[in-house]
Order: sequence, then C-alpha cells, then structure tokens
Amino acid sequence: MTSAAAPRTQPAPIQEARKIPFWKGDRLFRLLVAACALLVLVSLGGLVLTMAFGGSKAFSTFGPSFVIRNVWNPVTNEYGALAPVFGTIGSTLIAVLIGVPLAFGAAFWLTNIAPPMVAGVVGTAVQLLAAVPSIIFGMWGFFIVVPFMAQHVQPFFRHHFGHVPGIRWLVHGAPFGYGLLTGGIVLAVMITPFVTAVMRDVFAVMPPMLKESAYGLGATRWEVMRRVIVPWSRAGMIGGVVLGMGRALGETMAVTFVIGNANTIGWSLFAPRNTVASLVALEFPESAAGSLKLSSLLALGFILMLLSFTTLAIARWLLREKKA
Amino acid sequence: MSKTMGEGWRKDPRATQRLVMDRLATGMSFVATGILVLALASILWTLLWNGLAGLSIAALIHPMGPPGSNGGLANAILGSFIQTAVALILATPIGLGCGIYLSEFGSGSKFATAVRFVSDVLLSAPSILIGLFVYLVLVAPFGHFSGIAGSVALAILAVPIIVRTTEDMLRLVPVAMREAGSALGAAHWRVVLFLCLRSALPGVLTGILLALARVSGETAPLLFTSLGNQNWSFSLNKPMASLPIAIYQYAGASYDDWVRLAWTGALLVTLGVLSINIIVRFGFRSKQS
Amino acid sequence: MSEALQDLSLSSQSPASPEAALAVRELDFYYGEKQALKSITMDFRKQNVTAMIGPSGCGKSTLLRIFNRMYDLYPGQKATGTVLFDGADILDPGLDLNMLRSRIGMVFQKPTPFPMSIYDNIAFGVRLHEKLSRSEMDARVEDVLTRVALWKEVRDRLKEPAGGMSGGQQQRLCIARSIATKPEVLLLDEPTSALDPISTARIEELLDELKQDFTIAIVTHNMQQAARCADQVAFFYLGSLIEMDSADRMFTNPRQKQTQDYITGRFG
Repeated sequence: MTSAAAPRTQPAPIQEARKIPFWKGDRLFRLLVAACALLVLVSLGGLVLTMAFGGSKAFSTFGPSFVIRNVWNPVTNEYGALAPVFGTIGSTLIAVLIGVPLAFGAAFWLTNIAPPMVAGVVGTAVQLLAAVPSIIFGMWGFFIVVPFMAQHVQPFFRHHFGHVPGIRWLVHGAPFGYGLLTGGIVLAVMITPFVTAVMRDVFAVMPPMLKESAYGLGATRWEVMRRVIVPWSRAGMIGGVVLGMGRALGETMAVTFVIGNANTIGWSLFAPRNTVASLVALEFPESAAGSLKLSSLLALGFILMLLSFTTLAIARWLLREKKA
Repeated sequence: MSKTMGEGWRKDPRATQRLVMDRLATGMSFVATGILVLALASILWTLLWNGLAGLSIAALIHPMGPPGSNGGLANAILGSFIQTAVALILATPIGLGCGIYLSEFGSGSKFATAVRFVSDVLLSAPSILIGLFVYLVLVAPFGHFSGIAGSVALAILAVPIIVRTTEDMLRLVPVAMREAGSALGAAHWRVVLFLCLRSALPGVLTGILLALARVSGETAPLLFTSLGNQNWSFSLNKPMASLPIAIYQYAGASYDDWVRLAWTGALLVTLGVLSINIIVRFGFRSKQS
Repeated sequence: MSEALQDLSLSSQSPASPEAALAVRELDFYYGEKQALKSITMDFRKQNVTAMIGPSGCGKSTLLRIFNRMYDLYPGQKATGTVLFDGADILDPGLDLNMLRSRIGMVFQKPTPFPMSIYDNIAFGVRLHEKLSRSEMDARVEDVLTRVALWKEVRDRLKEPAGGMSGGQQQRLCIARSIATKPEVLLLDEPTSALDPISTARIEELLDELKQDFTIAIVTHNMQQAARCADQVAFFYLGSLIEMDSADRMFTNPRQKQTQDYITGRFG
C-alpha cells in the first residue's frame, strides 16, 4: 500500500503504468471473493437438492401422505414421517416450554438484580456452557437424567396423577426413563444457556436513559422489566427463542441417547418416541443404497430442512422488525 | 426524622401490592437462575468426576481397542486434530472471501442478500443433514467413507461462522481508514486485504477460533462421512477415527472400560472447546482494551 | 470561601427554610474512590427555577441524580450528607424509593419515549401510583398534554407509537409524562441539548409556566438558557459549589473570579 505514495516528480508515466493493473487487480479480487460467495450459495442449494432428489422416490411411492403416515416398518418396506416429525416437534416444544421461562428469569436476574461480580461470573459461565458440544448433553442425559426420571419422576407422576382424568394419558407408560419428556428436558438444558445469553445481550443494549426514565417515575424493577424492557426488546427476545428452537429441532446427539427411539405417537410424555435427526442417525447406516428406506430417510431430512428453514425465516423476520 | 416527615410521605395504598409483585418476580428469577446453574453444575461435575477417573497416560497414547484390552483414545484424538485442521484450512479462505464479498460488494445487490440469507440458513441447519449431504456427494460416489469427507462436512459447518464474523468485523472498520488508504492511491483489494482486514484481524481470528470450537465437538456430521476407525488412520482417503464418534460408540456400550473411555473423551473434547472459548473471550478482550 | 458567598449562599448549619423544597447540607458524592461532589450546601426554593451551570464533569448532573436516588441503580456510587425533602432525608437508606421518584420527576438529556403509544407513555407512570378510571385517565392525559402544549398536535394520534414524534415533541412528552404523576420537584438534565432552537424555545416557555406548580432544578450548558429561565443560578466547578445567586446578579455581577471567567467564556 505504500507503493502508492509514488514520487510526484514524474506524474504522467506513473499514471499510465498504474491504470491497467489497478483495474485488473480489483477485477480479479472481486471475482475471487464472489466465487467464494457463490460456493456458499451452491453448497446449500446442493444440500436441499440432494435431499429433495434423494427423497423423491419416497414421495412418489407414498405420495404427499408420506408426511402424515404413521408407519415405519423396514420389514414390509412401508415408511411415513408422522412419528419422527411428531417426536421432533413435541420434544422441541417441551424444550421451549421449560427452557424459555428459565432463560427469561435468569437473564432478568443477571441484568437487573444480581450484584455485578456474581452476574459477571454466572453470565460468563452460562455463555461458555452454551458452547459445550451437544454430545456431552446427550451423555449427561443418558447417565444422569434417564435414571433419575425412571426412579423418581415417573413413579411420582404415575402415583399422583395416574388416575386423574385428562392427565393420566400424559403420564401413562412404563418407567423406562427414556421418552419424549426426557428428550425435551435434555434439549431444554442444552438450549437454555444459549437463549439466556441472547436475552442478556438484548437486555444489555437497552439505552440506560430509557431504563432510568422508568425508574425515575417510581417504577419497581419488575415494573420496569415488564412494561419497558420487555416491550422494547420483544423482537430480539423472540428471535433468540426461535433460534434456540431451531437448535433443538435439528439436534441429534443430545436426543438420540435419551428419547428411546420408538417410532410411535401418543399422548404419553413418558413413552419412548423418536425424532427425525435421531432416526436418521440410527437407521441411515443400515440402509442400502438406492433402497426405499434410504429415500425415506432423505425425505425426512428434507422435511427437517424445511422446519429448520421456516424457524430461521421467522427469526430473521422478527429481528429485522427490530432494526427498522 | 420520621416525626417531622411531611404529609406527602403517606403510604401509597397500592405500594405493598407492587412491592410483593416485585419481590415475587425477583424470587422467581433467582430460582430460575438457580435451576439453570444447578443443571450446568451437574453436567460439569459428572463430566469431571467420570472423565478424570478414566484419564490416564494409556488413554492418551494407546489406540482404541477391543473391550478389556487396555485401549485408549490416541487414534481418535489424532483423527480429530487432522479432520478439524483440514476443515479449517478449507473453510477459512472461503469464509474470508465470502465475508469480504458481503461487506465490500454486497450492499443492495440481490445476490448478496441471498448469500447472506443462505449463510444464516447453513449456520442453523441441522448438522446431521450436512453429514447426509456430504455422504451423498463424497462418500456414495466413491464407495467408501473417508477422512476428507468428514473434513468437508465440518468445513461446511465452519464457513458460515467465519462469514458472519468477517462481514461484521469489516463493517466496523471506520470509513476514514478506507478513504485514507484510497487517498494514497491504493487499489481497493489492497485497502481491503492490508488495511481493513488487518485492523479487523482480532475479530476475524475470533470468528475462526469460534468455528474451530464449534466443529471440534460435532458428532452428527461425521457419522456418515469419516465413519470412525478402531485403528490408527493417517490417510484422508480412508475412514478416520475422531473423538466425538469414539464417544458416541463407547458411551452406549455395555463394557465398563469403554464407558470410562467415553467419559474421558467427553472431558477432553469439552476442555478443548471451552479453552478455545476462554481464549477468545478473555485473551482478545484484554488485548483490545 | 464561605464568607465570600453572599445572599443565597448558606453555611452548613443553616436550617432548612420553609421556602426550600430541597435543602442540601454537606453533601459529598463518590463514584467508587473518586469524589465527584464536595460538601455541597444549597437550597432549592419552592416554585422557582434553579439552574446549575458549570463546565463538563463539574458534578452538576451528579447532583441532580442524587435527588431521585438514580445513583442507587449503580453499585459503587455513594452519597453522604443530608438532602431534606418534605421533612425526610432523601439519602435515608430506608426511604421508599418508588415513592420518592414519584414525587421528584426527572427529564433526561435525550428524549426517552417508552416503546408504547403516546397515551400509554403518560398512563404508564400514573398507573404505577394511582388507580384511575378510564375517563379520569383520559382527562389526566389531556390535561398534561395541554400543559406542555402538545395536545393539539397529537390529539388525533394518541394511540400511535411515541417513537414517531419529532425530537422536540418527544421531549415535551417526557415532561408531560413526568408531571402526570404530580411530582413536587422536576429535575431536568440538559433537557434541550439534543433539540433544535425552536423546540428549545418552546421548552423554555414551558418551564416558565410549570414553575407555578413545581420546583424546578435544571442543569444546562447554555448560559443564555440559564439567564432566560432561571430565578437562581448555581455555578459548579470541579465538584464544588462556587457561587449561588439570583440570575440577575450572577450574570451582571458575579462575586467569584472563576464564575466571571466561566460566564464570559474564558474557560469551559
């Protein structure tokens, strides 16, 4: 870059000599970086197209009803997406229902109540734990949560709610420890640090003067939170929740260990279920190339891609609202 | 003092109710934080307790072996290093290039908007699907699993992280610095590479390190690509072991020594990922301030 | 220095006069280790506008933020001394802060409309402390908006978000929001520094009317503004109160050399 500070004594030739490589260099540069960008575009396009083409056999065999067929039987070669999609959405919803109140409470405490030292330490710990690989959560679920559910939670619920009409179906099932609820809980623990970190950041960028204005009118901490901070940061908060949801939807390792891997649907929170990601992880290695089963798994992948894409699109839409 | 306090200090009749609500919310938020911290402490504690129990020299220098053979994780550790390193070598130039494109040429163009969106989609795409994709493209046609396929899958995960941070950091470079560079007659590419990228370097490095942390713990994309290997594997053209896959195989096994090794592997992966994150958070922050 | 202080200057032993809404005695303030205010003693008279002037960092905004205990939000900041308000010491740790802040309103440098409608911005503070019927609330909103001369401009869009107003309108809304809770004292921290001259003039006119009902303390960088709207002026420098006097005397015949230098623009 210093070469540009050419001596002024010989202006004409330098100007001429520089002109052509100047543009050539920039053109090449632009071409190169645009090629990188194109590569990113192509890789997602390839991802979606291979899923779609690979799954086309399943879609053409079973028709659009593939999505709502409740069957997964390699023996009779009949496949449908309902059970794993049900498990995916169910476990994600449970994770969000448990995780979001925890994340909101923790973010409120960390930004408005905790002494700064404590908030710093806990906040950093939570942020770091958002980076722990998902397989660790899976192992923790497998060795700690599953036995705990089997020995304490499930017997407790069956004993107390097993005969309550309306609820009994939810707690029905043998106390294996594995199941939809266990999967949801492990997913909740996995996404809560992430959602907490996002909410904390959103609350932190709130202009202090706005907060002070509300305090200046005599509002309590909770009133400031509920009436001013939450409305102000609503879009960002929901964006964070939806991103957390996206993580839960596509998670493989944290779920495969604990959900029980049964392709069923039903009301019971304690019965073993399956998710798209864990079904793919378990059955893909046993699927022959070109088989209908492989195609069905790829079709499932395509559906999962659509789910993940939709949540991301919603999150982006909400976060854009905020900027405007 | 209170005797002389004026009339205006009379209690607001709703003050108690408001105070109770405030205390209630405070208490609940404390409980929420407590539950979160307890769950995370339980994870760390389990990990340390079980992981340290199996941590030994043998675990670090012996390759994986059949149950009861005093096997280790050495080949998996090496395989993880190779695959993540190759993944970063592939992902860094592409991610940088794409990030530069978005920040320098990407204002207002439809192509750039699409790329930005696609990069975000990739960032949150289920990682197992990336494994499936790479299987179909790089494994099935060649008829065998390979380390390079695993690296490519990891690279696809790493690229969007690098793209995002590179673009963000380049956009933070003051316009004045670009103008000063251009005013000296430097070509645009020189200004970008030698001025902007240089001043954004800490941020860009952060992105690369975060990408490293993210991919080094990923299991799902490797399941159908590099598959895993019980023996030493150095060739990128053959199935290659990796720590996450070894953990996955061993954790569900019914042999005690395998389960112990799975915990040790989990501890090693977590320590690696967390130390990268700590370096990013504290190392760079202190340098910047 | 104290013998040089005249007229409105007080010694630390002076009793709080019945005319004083706020009586500050021997007030020190610390940001952590750093002392930001040194032994301030002064009175803020009821139904008067008291302006605080001085160079940046002299402590005038800090003083304002003590009166509604805003500094409580930030650990490490502490005040010692006494500030008497309606027979109670504002610095008393046991004081009901929410009530204090409803009685001493504050308006900030930049307009701070809450992310809600114009109507709800005003109703927000009122609802915290009073339970009003729908029609009473409507009347209150109309009343305060009329007082800040905003009613005619916004009567048809009360349900629209407050963020859509102009800066001057937003600041008048913030003043309306503060007076809607019927405080006795109004603190204004450079309320016009982010506004254009026309909006500024409007707010200055407004102050003149508001002082019928409120005790007003205003921090300003703008000497003309202090001369135009204040009854008393206090000059701060490096955390100390150098001089306090009626606005007329202060600007025509300051007693301290530092005040003179500042007013004539030799520094600051």
